[in-house]
Amino acid sequence: MREYKPKGDVQAKAYYSDRFWVAPQLPTFSVDSDEIFAEQSKKINENFEVIKEYIQTGHLVVEVKAEDNKDAVAFFKDELGYNFLMEIAAVDFLEKRGVFEIVYEMLSTTTKKRARIKCCLRENQALESVNDHFRMADWSEREMYDLSGVKINNHPYLKRIIMPDDWQGHPLRKDYPMIGDEAAQWYEVDKIFGKEYRDVIGPENRDQARVDRFDTQRYSKIKHEVPKGAEFSDTKTDFGDYQEKDGVFLVTKLKKEDSVQLKERR
Amino acid sequence: MKQQVNRLQPFFENVSFDRDDNHMVVNFGPQHPSAHGQLRLILELEGEEVIKATPDVGYLHRGMEKMGENMMYNEFLPTTDRMDYIASTSNNHSFALAVEKLINVEAPRRAKIIRVMLLEINRIISHLFWIATHALDVGAMTIFLYAFREREFVMDLMEDYCGARLTHSAIRIGGVPQDLPEGFIESMDKFIKQFPIDIKDYEDLLDKNRIWKMRLEDVGVIDQEMAQSWGVSGPALRATGFQWDLRKESPYEVYDEIDFDVPFTDSCDSFGRYKLYMNEMRQSIKIMAQCIPLYEASEAGVMAHAPEYISASKEEIMTQNYALMQHFVLVTQGMRPPVGEVYSATESPKGELGFYINSQGDPYPYRLKVRAPSFWHTGLLQDLLPGHQLADVVTIIGNLNIVFGEIDR
Amino acid sequence: MAQHKVNYAAEGGLPVVLTTVDKLVQWGRSNSVWALTYGLACCAIEMMAAGASRYDFDRFGTIFRASPRQADIMVVAGTLTKKHAEFIRRLYDQMAEPKWVISMGSCANTGGMFNTYATVQGVDRIIPVDIYLPGCAPRPETLQFALMMLQKQIRRESAFRALKPKRLV
Repeated sequence: MREYKPKGDVQAKAYYSDRFWVAPQLPTFSVDSDEIFAEQSKKINENFEVIKEYIQTGHLVVEVKAEDNKDAVAFFKDELGYNFLMEIAAVDFLEKRGVFEIVYEMLSTTTKKRARIKCCLRENQALESVNDHFRMADWSEREMYDLSGVKINNHPYLKRIIMPDDWQGHPLRKDYPMIGDEAAQWYEVDKIFGKEYRDVIGPENRDQARVDRFDTQRYSKIKHEVPKGAEFSDTKTDFGDYQEKDGVFLVTKLKKEDSVQLKERR
Repeated sequence: MKQQVNRLQPFFENVSFDRDDNHMVVNFGPQHPSAHGQLRLILELEGEEVIKATPDVGYLHRGMEKMGENMMYNEFLPTTDRMDYIASTSNNHSFALAVEKLINVEAPRRAKIIRVMLLEINRIISHLFWIATHALDVGAMTIFLYAFREREFVMDLMEDYCGARLTHSAIRIGGVPQDLPEGFIESMDKFIKQFPIDIKDYEDLLDKNRIWKMRLEDVGVIDQEMAQSWGVSGPALRATGFQWDLRKESPYEVYDEIDFDVPFTDSCDSFGRYKLYMNEMRQSIKIMAQCIPLYEASEAGVMAHAPEYISASKEEIMTQNYALMQHFVLVTQGMRPPVGEVYSATESPKGELGFYINSQGDPYPYRLKVRAPSFWHTGLLQDLLPGHQLADVVTIIGNLNIVFGEIDR
Repeated sequence: MAQHKVNYAAEGGLPVVLTTVDKLVQWGRSNSVWALTYGLACCAIEMMAAGASRYDFDRFGTIFRASPRQADIMVVAGTLTKKHAEFIRRLYDQMAEPKWVISMGSCANTGGMFNTYATVQGVDRIIPVDIYLPGCAPRPETLQFALMMLQKQIRRESAFRALKPKRLV
């Protein structure tokens, strides 16, 4: 019987885990432990429904509802003085919890503090674009749409950015294998030569540990290339010298004994 | 087997049949000598003026974030080299720092000092490369040859330390792989003495050069509002009059002990950025010079001691049974950091390089997102280029110092 | 009217060099291989270093050209991604015969460390390659050596390269 492998999450897994292993947690602190954050948190709570808030590795982490994302980013920008939106990332928790976690990394250059706005997005729920407040979201959200398949509402130009337009699938989802699905593996052959050429080119060699015992012999020797599949003639190629024995017309023959070794680089 | 004719059809992007205006669409890239990699720009021109620019990236997308999810933390470190391949060590460092923050390990003092030295060496390599290629694009060939000559000397320093010219992997999680080799300090000292003279040479060639000034002054003006909106960082941000350098504002390693200035200007244009890069190289030299006495005063030991996460030194592995077992487990199964999220940002030569790691307690990161500064510097082009002349496009692309390894990842 | 019988073959007879067309043509080709700057990723930096001050590629007669029409060899320096694959084939087709390809670096050879969905696993799936350079990234010296080996190969070839069967994989 073939071993069952879950298809929803094909990320690499540890091949052995101790049954009694309990993963430690990165310490989190309450927002009151930092003066600036405590004050900001009070303001946030007045305006938004906060699901979770804590401080982790010096960042204020606030989880809001997915519908509030645009307002929250605007609030952080206008009221709390976080003038830079540094990064938007989507984390795929579809298999585990059925949601995407969207992370907004914000930076305030006045207080030198960083905050992270998080929201959980259901699979078919669309996210509101924050492009009106930060132009950088234009590209970030396109990237998110392209690689994770998060749908964005009111985006000025929602189009694949990293992958080609005719690509199938969203590579950063957990159900997408690292080496790609079939469409991905034949993408360039199909596009350039056509599907019927697949047999000629052959499948990709994805086995990193593959050892071909002819590897050391079967590279085409200079001037002795043969068509694929033909026998390799046993010829000797002199790799030792850069030039032919009797030299090349008008080209100075390199003599090893004439070369000088420098003591110091210059 | 005889080769078959391929199926690629000619494309007519620059010919549009249904237009009644005089606009022309020019496709720039993805393989263009002054596109600094694989940037494709679709420019709409009216005469020589750019009306609309649409950057198209992704031609160097190698799936690094996906690789990060499928590789153990230590395995992934050499991959970060290939992101910003002009200053590899800054990527290694940023990733290592993020993981160190996650596992709460601090590198020993000597390792920190060596890191600062290597980072500044990398900054100089990157900036030299920048001035070389940027000047070449704008039409100053001489500076290219000069800057590459000096760049080779800096690369020699790097090569003395780690053996590689380009992809260094010179920083490990928890420290650096080895102490400085013999004679490194002397050759670095020699370089520190020589290099300011070389910078002076470049400035003599460029500062009063009429063509250089005409092509850079008032070209590519990024104002403060635009910079904040687009998440611009690094020299491009500092050229808007914003004195923001993560080495000063949230110091990591030993930057808080070192006395250096953050050069900034409020000219906002390409020429201001050029002056800024020159001054940054001078500051890097200053930092490197200050690292030498710090290094000499520090104690030996370059890797942190954290048996849960980091292998012991080679001598211990070879002599002690427990160290060998622990090394075996860490290599085959990988370290298991705590559950949590971490975002750590460092000042790379291009700007704020951040790593967001979401760990679920597995040896593989659950999500690894790289905040590469060049990504938004490229996105900025669509707001920045309209209104400029076609010839300025090359200046602006070169001037923003974008590297496609980190844009597409 | 020849009064004397001249021994042409003897030394110092006439200023004539006897050679074959193959040798003459390929001598010319091998000493002026112009390269297409096909910088894709990290290796492009090393390719530039090979062309710059310390390594000086020009002395081999190799000048980097930005146009495929003027180039004889294509140095594929860096990772070829699936999105870019189409363009490398286009540019290869645009190059005039005779043309050679150097695949520089592990990524161009086999996909290298990038065993992912987005990377072409070896540029030889798209275009025929003459010389593979190992290394990640190969040093400029490696590229120089490869070029010299290619020159040697060119000198041995027949001038009528169209007759030679070319294979893709």
